[in-house]
Amino acid sequence: MACERPKGSLTHIPFNPKPFLLTEPASFIKMQIPANNPLTQEGVELGQRLFFEKALSLKGTHSCASCHLPEKAFSDGLAYSLGAHGRPTKRSAPSLVNVGYYYKGLFWDGRAANLEAQALMPVEDSIEMASNWDTVELRLRSHPDYPVLFRKAFGIQHSQEIDRYLAAKAIAQFERSLVNYNAKFDQVKRGEAKFTEAENRGRIIFFDIGAYGLPFAECSHCHADPLFTTQDYLNNGIQSVASLDAFPDAGRGLITGVRWDNGKFRVPTLRNIALTAPYMHDGRFQTLDEVLDHYISGGHYAENINPNVQKLRLTQKDKKDLSAFLQTLTDSSFVIKFKNFNPAQKTELSARY
Amino acid sequence: MKKILIGLLLLPLLWASSCDKGKEDRGQIELNFKALFGADPLAMYASTYAYYDNTPLKFQLFQFYLSDIELIRADNGEAVLVSDVELVSFKDVQSQSAALQGVSLNKNDIPPGQYKAIRMGLGVSPALNSTGPGSYTPPHPLDDHYWSWALGYVFMKIEGNADIDGDGQFSDKLTFHTGADALYRTIEFNKNFEVKEGQALKLSFLADLKRVMGVNASNFLDIKTVNQDHTNNPEVYNFLYDNLESAIQLAP
Repeated sequence: MACERPKGSLTHIPFNPKPFLLTEPASFIKMQIPANNPLTQEGVELGQRLFFEKALSLKGTHSCASCHLPEKAFSDGLAYSLGAHGRPTKRSAPSLVNVGYYYKGLFWDGRAANLEAQALMPVEDSIEMASNWDTVELRLRSHPDYPVLFRKAFGIQHSQEIDRYLAAKAIAQFERSLVNYNAKFDQVKRGEAKFTEAENRGRIIFFDIGAYGLPFAECSHCHADPLFTTQDYLNNGIQSVASLDAFPDAGRGLITGVRWDNGKFRVPTLRNIALTAPYMHDGRFQTLDEVLDHYISGGHYAENINPNVQKLRLTQKDKKDLSAFLQTLTDSSFVIKFKNFNPAQKTELSARY
Repeated sequence: MKKILIGLLLLPLLWASSCDKGKEDRGQIELNFKALFGADPLAMYASTYAYYDNTPLKFQLFQFYLSDIELIRADNGEAVLVSDVELVSFKDVQSQSAALQGVSLNKNDIPPGQYKAIRMGLGVSPALNSTGPGSYTPPHPLDDHYWSWALGYVFMKIEGNADIDGDGQFSDKLTFHTGADALYRTIEFNKNFEVKEGQALKLSFLADLKRVMGVNASNFLDIKTVNQDHTNNPEVYNFLYDNLESAIQLAP
C-alpha cells in the first residue's frame, strides 16, 4: 500500500544544487557573495523566474523586470517608472548590469546594504509593487511550480517554508549572475578589437590621459573602469539649490542624516549607457549630448558639489569623440540572452491577480 | 606505565594551553592619524581654512596610501611587518570632534619587545602597484583609486574648493591626484617604545595638508593658476609629494 505524502511535503524531490559557474573578468574586483547564499544553478533559475514574476505585485501587473528591462540594460527608458497603481516612482530605475559588484549600497541613495536586503523592498513599496510579502508568500506557496523550485534551490522540506527571505536570496543570486563584460571596450582590452580614431581620442579625453594635448573631461574620477563607477555618493551639480537644505530630493542625505550628503546620489555605471536614457536619478537629461553639456558647464554650485565636476574646455569634436567612446561601453548580450525568455508562458500565477 | 599514560592524556591539554598562550602573549598596536591644516584639525566640508595667500578653502577629501609598515626592533633584529598596505583616508572626518579623534589602524599579533622606530612606504609599493583592483575582494585598500590607463594606484588625493574671488561661494575646484612608482619612497620615524603582552600601544601621527600644499608663506602651490594635477605636471606633483613626506610626523 502506497503511503500518501502530507500535503505540501517536498521531501520526495531531490535536493542536489549545482554550483553556478560565474565567469568574472580578471580586471573586476572580486564579487562579494554571502556565505549563506552561494550561487547555484537552481537558485539563479528560481531568481530569474521571480525577477519576471508579476505576482510579486498587488494586482499581478508588475514584476522586477517591468522597470528593469533586459533590452535596456535592466533600466526602463523612463525618467520615472510607473508603479502598480500607475503612479510614478520617486526616481528612475537604475541599470542592474554588474550590480553584484556593488558593495557600497544599493538604490540611488544606498539604503539597502546588499542585494538580499534590496530585493525585499520594492514588493512593499506603496508606489512600486504596492503589495505585501504575506500575500506574496501565500501566492508562491500555493503555486504549482514554485514549491518545487524553492525545494531544488534551497532544500526546503515543505511549501510552507517558502518565505520572503528565500525569495530575496534567489533574486539576489539571479542579479549577481548579471555580469557584463563584452563591450567593445572589453574586446579592445583583450586585444580582440581596435578603437576607431574617434573612439580612441574619446578614450584619452575620458580618462584624462593628457596625450596629444587633448583636454580632460574628468569622467573617470567617478566612472572608473572596469565597472565605470566608483559606487560613491556624490553631488554632481545637476540641481540648482539655494542651500544644502533645499534639494527637492536629498538623496543620500535622507539615509545618513548628514547634511553634507544632501543632494548626493550613487554614481551610476556607464556600461551600456547608450541603452539607459534618460539620465540621472530623475531622468532629466534625454540624451548623452545633454549630459555632456551639463558637465561642460561645470554644474550648479552647492557647498558639497564634487570638486571633480569642473568646467570643461571641450570642442565639438572632443564632445563627439567622447560620445563615440561611450558607445563602446555597450554590450547588448543581455538583449540576446533574454530575448526568448517569456515567464508568462511558464506561469499562470500572475494572470490570477 | 600509569605515569606515562597520564602524561599522554595531559599532552593535548598542555598543547591547547600553549596555543592559547600563543595568542595572549602578543601585543596590539594602534596607528592613529590626525589630519591638520596648519595648526587646525582638518574636517571635511565643515570647516574653512585660510591658505598661505589667505584664500578661504574647504576640503572634501585628503587621503594617502602607506605600504610595508614595519616596526624596527631596538636590537636590530628582523623588522616586524604590521601591514603590507593601508589607505589613510580622512574622507569621513566631517566634524571637529571627528578630526580630533583622527582615524586609526589597529593591528594585533605584534611581538612584544623594545622597538626603536617605525618605517613605512609612502604610496603603494611597486610590488602591489603592479596589481589592480581585480586582485582584491572589497573592502580592501586596493579595491579602488586605480588608474587602469597608467596601470597604477593614485597614491594621494586632495579634493576641495576655494573661494578665490571672495564672494562667499567656494566655486573654484581643486583636485590633485598623485601616483607613480617613481614617487614611492620609504620614511622612518625614530622613537623608542615597547610593545607589551596583551596590551595596546598607540602611536599618533599628524598629517598637515597645508604643509602638503606648500613649504612656507613664500613657497606654496599657487592655486589661482594651478587648480588641478593628475600626475601630469612634474613640477606640481613632485612638489606635492615631496611635501607629503614632510607633512607626516610622528607625535612625540
